[in-house]
Amino acid sequence: MPPIGPGSLDYRDFFFVAPEMVLAVWGLVVLLLDLGLAKRQPAPARRLLVGRVALAGVGLTLAVTLASSLIPLMARANPEDLSTWFSRSTIDYLFDDDPSLFGGTIAGGFDVGVFNLVYVTLLGLVVWMSLAWKFTEEWGEYLALLLWATVGMMLLSAAEELVTLFISLEMMTICLYLATALDKSRTRSAEGGLKYFIYGSVSSALFLFGLSYLYGLTGSTHLSTIRRLLESTRVVGLAANAAGITAILLVLAGFGFKIAAVPFHQWAPDVYEGAPAPVAAWVATGSKIATVIAFMKVFGNALKPWASPSDHILGPGWIGLLAIVAAITMTYGNVAALGQRNLKRMLAYSSIAHGGYLLVGVAALGLATDVTRAAAAVLFYLVVYAFANVGAFAVAVWLVRDKQSDDIDDLNGLVRRHPVLAISILLLMLSLIGIPPLGGFFGKLYLFMQALDERKNAFGSISLIALVGLGFLNSVVSAFYYLRVARAMFLRQPAGEPIAAADTPIGLPILLAAAVVVGSGLSPDSLMSVMQSAATPMLTTPIIVPKVIGPAQGPPAPKKPVPKFEYSKDQVKKMGQMATGGAGPPGGGGPPATKGATTKKAATKDAPATPRKSQNPP
Amino acid sequence: MIRVLFLVIAVTGLASALATVLIKNLVRAALALAGFFFAVACLFVLLEAEFLAALQVLIYVGAVSILLMFGIMLTRGVQGTDPASRPSAWRLPGVVIGLAVFALLGYAIFQETGLGTQRAWGAIDPRPAIARGTVEPGAPRRRAINDMGKVVGVELMTRYVVAFELAGLLLTAALVGAVAVAHREDDEPSRGEPSRIPSDPPITTSP
Amino acid sequence: MESDIPLSWFLLFAAASFAIGLIGVLTRKNAIAVLMAIEIMLNAANVNLVAFWRYGPELPEAGPVAGIVLAIMVITVAAAEVAVGIGLILLCYRRWRAADVDRYDSLAG
Repeated sequence: MPPIGPGSLDYRDFFFVAPEMVLAVWGLVVLLLDLGLAKRQPAPARRLLVGRVALAGVGLTLAVTLASSLIPLMARANPEDLSTWFSRSTIDYLFDDDPSLFGGTIAGGFDVGVFNLVYVTLLGLVVWMSLAWKFTEEWGEYLALLLWATVGMMLLSAAEELVTLFISLEMMTICLYLATALDKSRTRSAEGGLKYFIYGSVSSALFLFGLSYLYGLTGSTHLSTIRRLLESTRVVGLAANAAGITAILLVLAGFGFKIAAVPFHQWAPDVYEGAPAPVAAWVATGSKIATVIAFMKVFGNALKPWASPSDHILGPGWIGLLAIVAAITMTYGNVAALGQRNLKRMLAYSSIAHGGYLLVGVAALGLATDVTRAAAAVLFYLVVYAFANVGAFAVAVWLVRDKQSDDIDDLNGLVRRHPVLAISILLLMLSLIGIPPLGGFFGKLYLFMQALDERKNAFGSISLIALVGLGFLNSVVSAFYYLRVARAMFLRQPAGEPIAAADTPIGLPILLAAAVVVGSGLSPDSLMSVMQSAATPMLTTPIIVPKVIGPAQGPPAPKKPVPKFEYSKDQVKKMGQMATGGAGPPGGGGPPATKGATTKKAATKDAPATPRKSQNPP
Repeated sequence: MIRVLFLVIAVTGLASALATVLIKNLVRAALALAGFFFAVACLFVLLEAEFLAALQVLIYVGAVSILLMFGIMLTRGVQGTDPASRPSAWRLPGVVIGLAVFALLGYAIFQETGLGTQRAWGAIDPRPAIARGTVEPGAPRRRAINDMGKVVGVELMTRYVVAFELAGLLLTAALVGAVAVAHREDDEPSRGEPSRIPSDPPITTSP
Repeated sequence: MESDIPLSWFLLFAAASFAIGLIGVLTRKNAIAVLMAIEIMLNAANVNLVAFWRYGPELPEAGPVAGIVLAIMVITVAAAEVAVGIGLILLCYRRWRAADVDRYDSLAG
């Protein structure tokens, strides 16, 4: 990351933001198609056409994401393979393993690639879910806003610098405010949108004021520079630094709003209940993943020196603060969810509780000696949680489509009519509770093990142990309300009009989410290793050296082996696996299996070649 | 002299800000807000960021205030008074929280000691000097002050190009979405009619 | 300059405007008034950013105008937020014939 001089924009950097660019342009395509061509058609045909075009765009983005992640790996493996398509300088550029782009404002490493795949896959499910029923007149705008919110999420988790981080956070949330309010047939949608907007804008004002103090304290907006400056100071930490404490409080308030941590959670139930179910799913999963990643980058990387400078857990440092917030958040979310009969509200409170668990992970990150594992535990939890939650919201879509309400009681007796889906839903609920051997169990296990592992100072360990105990208790509490769904499906008699069969837009997300939950439970290690290699570039400070372009620089220094290549086999395989979950081209439930198979074939072809990084090209 | 100027601007600005949050009449509050925006633009000039001051005047004073004014007129009739507005139960706690935040921030500003070799915020009295004369590469701030438009443009096109493009997309999305949200549909009630949209049934349980 | 303005004066101005904006957010009921208070808070942050840019240290890797660029982004975001906010407020106003935040209470908090 050299200091960028005037006029030094490396156009090749755009290669790594290609998925974002495709998605942004595709939003416009969908919008124009809806406004132009499709206006002449009758409404249902138009909905279907525009929706399928949007899905095709998601599929295209998925392909571009895979390409932009795999081509650098291929370039490192065997530069000759690519010489027919790319010029020499491009290959040299791809060969370079410096993950920072555009003068260090965003990252383009493996972490970004993996999470772009996760976002695009989840977006595909969310868009597909939206096809299930008609809930808005502004269909093109709705889809465009979903796609653009995803652009914000992708860049938010790639941002390495506060300007980019702020604007992508705003991009994400502003699109979500609008999408929340687009269901004009229900007054609650408008109300949820306005509440989301007001809470969100206040929180971004607080966040921004915190950022301005951070900039004032350090003089830089780059996360790595902030970290270096904080580490190099004589008086490490927050002791006698009220400005630092203020900055941390304000930034924490901003992030706390976005992930609905407890003093700032009031918007969440209203928004989840008011928003159309797919938007609520996207608020609960995509925006939560992106915010937690940005949160980890800011607190776990830039502000790490302020984590716990003294020996007291409640001493001047953000760990104590975060631990308290985490404890309150998970307890409140779970207790409040117990009383809910509405599925979306129940999911809202439970997502608050999951935010609390995630904060435990971030707090552990502050004390961690092995930062990578601690961050990987959070990422693992996020991915499993996101898929399970998307599946759960697909159930809400199902209820809204057929019953115009989303009460849990409407699921009564589901197992008699739709046994496969009922069992899948049961698996999702069990995973959200954290029952072995499902993915959610391993997520919680890794998260809590990391929190228990940290032995840096005694007070920290004790309070983290207390937090983990509270977390276990909370998981038990959460079993009551998650199992209420299961009880309705399995033990109750169906009452009234039975729910109609689920078609692809509803069935596919549920089945795929169940598959992810089971798959990550059966082989948690492979997902964990992918997450670990994703966490490495995310939380290591890029070393500021002039960029030496070209493969001739030889292998990386032996002292610091670049961990990216240790996992390349898994990475490639995982990318193949993730591709199976992607939204296919239009045409309904096309066979995702074939797609996955082709990707896997490509993966196996590359995998053995990948580690040969130091091979000299002629 | 310059201190007196600052004090005049600051007092005007803070008075306008106070007026914005205190005046009941929303049109007057929006006018006071425009005054506050203008005071902030004057402060930008005092900080030698004339380019930003111009932007502030164009966007905030010119566009945002007008947009707010339109919002007020569309929701409230031309007078902008709100007969239904009533004192809030949050008034006292709100004021107390605000004053507490101000006290905390003030304490923080004067207590800050400066990281490493940097000077404390409270101790920076004369601003860091910028040398006059020829432009040399090692003085980024001088380049920026003397040639703000160019330096900002170059930065936006190199280092911050992603943020810049994203800002463009954000404005597009806000425009598209705001039109979609505010667009009146045929079956919606017009002014004065009772709403034909059935209200949702109440929610049964809540903690 | 003998009697230049101290940095802390700008910071105090920003802190005071921020607190005023916060009071407005907490005490006003009208959604547009809340929106105006949010604008005050964003402007306070901008004053901070520009003051820190002018008075703070010059770091070569931070770029010459980091604070200014962030302030420009904030202005952009504020414009977008106002447009979105007015749209949402109009939508709600057509439903309830009122622009007060506490009127919209069909959702149990």
